Amino acid sequence: MSEAVDFRYIGTRPVRPDGLDKVTGRANFGADFTLPGMLHGRFLRSPHAHARILNIDLEAALAVPGVKAIVTGKDFPEVEPGDIQGGEGAGDYHDLAVNVMARDKVLYHGHAVAAVAATSVRAAEQAIRAIKVEYEVLPAVLDIDSAMAANAPLLHEQLYTEGLPEKPARPSNVAQVMESTRGDIEAGFAEADVIIERTYITPTVHQGYIEPHACVARWGQDEQSLIWCATQGSFDVRSMTARVLGLNVSRLKVIPSEIGGGFGGKTTIYLEPVAIMLSRRSGRPVKLVMTREEVFRASGPASASKIKLKIGARKDGSLTAMYAWLGYEAGAFKGSPMVPGVMCVFAPYDVPAFKAEGYDVLVNKPKVAAYRAPGAPQALFATESAMDELARELGMDPIELRLKNAVRDGSQAAYGPKFNSIGLEACLEAARAHPNYQRPLEPGQGRGVAVGFWFNVGMQSSAEIHVNEDGTATVIEGNPDIGGSRASMALMAAEELCIPYENVRVVVADTESAGFTNVTGGSRVTFATGMAVIEAARDIISQLKQRAAALWNVDEDMVDWVDGKVVPKPGINVEAEPMSLADMAAESAKTGGPLLGRASLNARGAGPAFSVNLCDVAVDPETGKVDVLSFTAIQDAGKAIHPSYVEGQMQGGAVQGIGWALNEEYVYNGDGVMENAGFLDYRIPVASDLPMIDTQILEVPNPGHPYGVRGVGETPIVAPLAAVANAVSAATGLRMTELPLSPPRIVAALEAAKG
Amino acid sequence: MGSRDDCIRFLLDGEVVEVSGLPATTTVLDWLRDHAGRTGTKEGCAEGDCGACTVLLGEYQGGNAPLRYRTFNSCIRFLPTIDGCELVTVESLVDDGVLHPAQRALVAEHGSQCGFCTPGFVMSLAGLYLEQPAPDREQVVRAIAGNLCRCTGYRPIIDAGLAMGGLEPAKTWHPERVDTPARRAALAKLVRRRTLELPDLVAPRSLDELASWRQAEPDAQLLAGGTDLGLEVTKALRNLPKLIYTGQVPELHVLETAAAGLRIGAAVPLADAWAAIVDAFPGFEEVADRFASPPVCHSGTLGGNVANGSPIGDCMPVLLALDARVELRRGASVRELSLADFYLDYRRTAMAADEFLVAITIPGAQGCWHYAGYKLGKRWDQDISAVCAGFAIQVDAKVIVAARLGFGGMAGIPARAPAAEAALIGATVEGASFEVAADALASDFEPIDDLRASASYRLISAGNLLRRFGLALTSEEQRKPLSVWEVTP
Repeated sequence: MSEAVDFRYIGTRPVRPDGLDKVTGRANFGADFTLPGMLHGRFLRSPHAHARILNIDLEAALAVPGVKAIVTGKDFPEVEPGDIQGGEGAGDYHDLAVNVMARDKVLYHGHAVAAVAATSVRAAEQAIRAIKVEYEVLPAVLDIDSAMAANAPLLHEQLYTEGLPEKPARPSNVAQVMESTRGDIEAGFAEADVIIERTYITPTVHQGYIEPHACVARWGQDEQSLIWCATQGSFDVRSMTARVLGLNVSRLKVIPSEIGGGFGGKTTIYLEPVAIMLSRRSGRPVKLVMTREEVFRASGPASASKIKLKIGARKDGSLTAMYAWLGYEAGAFKGSPMVPGVMCVFAPYDVPAFKAEGYDVLVNKPKVAAYRAPGAPQALFATESAMDELARELGMDPIELRLKNAVRDGSQAAYGPKFNSIGLEACLEAARAHPNYQRPLEPGQGRGVAVGFWFNVGMQSSAEIHVNEDGTATVIEGNPDIGGSRASMALMAAEELCIPYENVRVVVADTESAGFTNVTGGSRVTFATGMAVIEAARDIISQLKQRAAALWNVDEDMVDWVDGKVVPKPGINVEAEPMSLADMAAESAKTGGPLLGRASLNARGAGPAFSVNLCDVAVDPETGKVDVLSFTAIQDAGKAIHPSYVEGQMQGGAVQGIGWALNEEYVYNGDGVMENAGFLDYRIPVASDLPMIDTQILEVPNPGHPYGVRGVGETPIVAPLAAVANAVSAATGLRMTELPLSPPRIVAALEAAKG
Repeated sequence: MGSRDDCIRFLLDGEVVEVSGLPATTTVLDWLRDHAGRTGTKEGCAEGDCGACTVLLGEYQGGNAPLRYRTFNSCIRFLPTIDGCELVTVESLVDDGVLHPAQRALVAEHGSQCGFCTPGFVMSLAGLYLEQPAPDREQVVRAIAGNLCRCTGYRPIIDAGLAMGGLEPAKTWHPERVDTPARRAALAKLVRRRTLELPDLVAPRSLDELASWRQAEPDAQLLAGGTDLGLEVTKALRNLPKLIYTGQVPELHVLETAAAGLRIGAAVPLADAWAAIVDAFPGFEEVADRFASPPVCHSGTLGGNVANGSPIGDCMPVLLALDARVELRRGASVRELSLADFYLDYRRTAMAADEFLVAITIPGAQGCWHYAGYKLGKRWDQDISAVCAGFAIQVDAKVIVAARLGFGGMAGIPARAPAAEAALIGATVEGASFEVAADALASDFEPIDDLRASASYRLISAGNLLRRFGLALTSEEQRKPLSVWEVTP
């Protein structure tokens, strides 16, 4: 259970330890490393969405001056299938290897076919252009419907749908089906007074981190290799790269750089095995950096989706049944976030009967990667749009309708467990009471409400705390800091050890210096790695008590830790001055040596996070332009360790969700070529597109964490899609079910409504 | 052609840097990161869209004119174009160990999450600080229009911009402290006495020298601000022909404003050109504001934009509405052409291979004219327009006596709408007249479908813009704007 504590440091807002490095340009990101003799690599990428590789002729390319190595799929070992462990998105090691470098077929426009290392980027590019590849172009499938059609061209001839009672007779583009059901939905819909039934479509979107993927790799002749890279998980880079290259993990050392955004997109690998292979062939270190265009075409975006949703309710608003058919595009290899989509589509509501069926669908597009609450924004865009329409049909306040059906402590979650200490009701009540919910609207304006949800995860983490001789502390952990986690770790260590925040230094260490730690993802770092830091600090405190007991010649249970000092317990009669961490550190040689605390754990009880968003928009009916007038994000954080960084997650997620709702989309031509592979035409929001995002943090403590922390990073992107769409619907009187709500789409809908 | 020199010189952290032997197309960013080891400046897109590469350029303008510092995108600007200037990067701002107010404010307001975009924001805010040390929200948002951040949602960054004014002033990079005699002297020393001539670039120092080079090398590529040409190198990795850089020709920097009209030299930066146009014709303020990010407007030139002739460029519809003319020179001879006659076909103009653009002239207006400019895109800032429009009509006793309607995004070239103009001329200023004109657009244009918009969206919304213009003119009580996208004339 969480403890009721008066905190010294938790909940304060100190500046981050890496703040100065970030504003002075001193922080080193993936592309900032250089080694003596380093070569620069470039990729040859497929010009076709689907084709068989008949022949690759490297002769002319190898003759280009400055070229030191060229690799193709033939240079990489065969990799056995097997589920990728520990990453954030689903996937298979064999697929990962083939995605990194195509073998006999290319499966999307931009798929890597060859890579060159040369003495300059220009020479490498010249060689790339000199490589001759013969292709047999195959028909491509580019959306869920055509991929699932009876005689659709197959991406993988040996892929049979999983999740069916028995293995199907024929291969398919559907990698997996899943069903989740409870109660009798036919009876539920029969009881309903109102039924809403719609099909919702969301496009492929990209995480849009500003730092392109980058790495430097150095193969050692002793087979000890080094990788410097920007990643959300250095241990994941190690295990995936080792698997793709057939190496023992102890042969690889991964040194994480600062990371320039990831949002799930840097939880997998694209460059690292290729860089190692090029380094091995050339005998020199190799740097690979994606261009922005490559980031769009060849890294993993988020799934496009098609969701058919049907919900029924009685006149009083109580839900009677819900049904969802969810199709998620996986890209060229299996592993869309269909499973979490199925699990979360009804998560906010207590409904007696439901059925959700999900399809993981292969298409000739890049393999999707995790993007902040993978699968949930698409699913809840559907659910929360339908709930909004239901409220309208029933003439109910949309918050009232949700309160009537919201899951509470003790509700059986649609995805399984019983909820315990959750904040949905509190978020809804806070939204109803928020001044932004009362603000009068003008003609042409509309307000939308939506609920967000994410499971959150725990997983494995390690932490060590070294107490320095002056009583300051160094925390060693293995999660690349993507949003201020070093500040949170320092706050937790300071809190436990009762030393000033400034006296704690947090180091994100490499894979040989930190204990094994899962990816920075799943909203797990402050929760799970934070728990490891707390336990490591408590390990030190217990050692302090042991040492003091020895010094004072009393039993260990006669020593207490109070206000940052070891003291004899009340009533213990001993000549002893209370000693602080610094006092004990100074004496450490006499009491058993350096003070070192450590913890490794597999954290359970992450505790789901709910949110409610309010959005006001104005829609210009003549041009279709939507202006977001105000946006309010309310979320249960369990306990906010550093409130500014919790707000930062809420604001950043809200803005990504607004972009997803209004503008962002991959625009493909009929040949499967993305037409807007750059920030000029893939429009992420800029400052002038946005109001100041208002935030309200609620703290419903998570019983699974010593301070009550629950993950906060992913939930913020879930609600905005429907919040914006519902606001547009309120402003225009039109129900828009396909994202993005771009000006052309709104004008077309308005024209169609005119008849 | 005078004496020559093949060494690029510029000032960096108080030292003169001399660079020779690099390709002329080496970008400032590549020089900083790969040659100078200054990796604080980041590459996020290599096409001037994300702003992670933003740096400041200090320019000595001769005589007593103040030194001018402005942001630009180092990722698409070629190193020879900063010859004679001062380069200021994120590493330059720390003064005797003290952070610049923009840096301090970003730390204190938690303006970084991942921090990759932060150096670019620092530089945009530092550039703003040199103009206005205590900016308001609008100024901050404007200054960071060219910077993308994907983590924060911008709120703490805007808060940092607003907080700068309350912090201890910058020691060096402050409007009242930067323009020192020592710095002026250092920059004055860099003023060229010999023409910069590299194997693959020449930077003539006079109009006559430019004319000679243009005739001598008709296959050479003219380089102005480079905001478009830079992409050919950084994105398409294309090998360019020899470059003739126009930025060192003083005559091309002249901007004359008089009652008779405006004359804007071809190398005048977009920022200054738009300021002059808006000053004379306030109806175009919104298009000017939204044209491009400040770093792009500081580097890019009106001449480059006009000569480039993109069908979706935002300058041309406005210039067409203003009846602009272009002044072309070939050898010693000069000719003038109406802008409407300058564009022949998609990305093809009436300019001959050995000709170049000297200036754009805009006649002064007589009588009662109304102007408006509109830009439709997906975002407010820094977006390619789906449709851009510039409208000018002259009214006499409630009757429209002249109309010029310029459009971008509606055809393969920027173009006027003769049928719609004809429908307006002679009509009274009332909603119905604009309805007829909006319908006439269908015979003026057959727009295309592309990734930015459908043909029908273009036609419908272009008509709506014309209706909106009419509505604004006719309603006594100006209609309350439904959207921040509207400009009322």
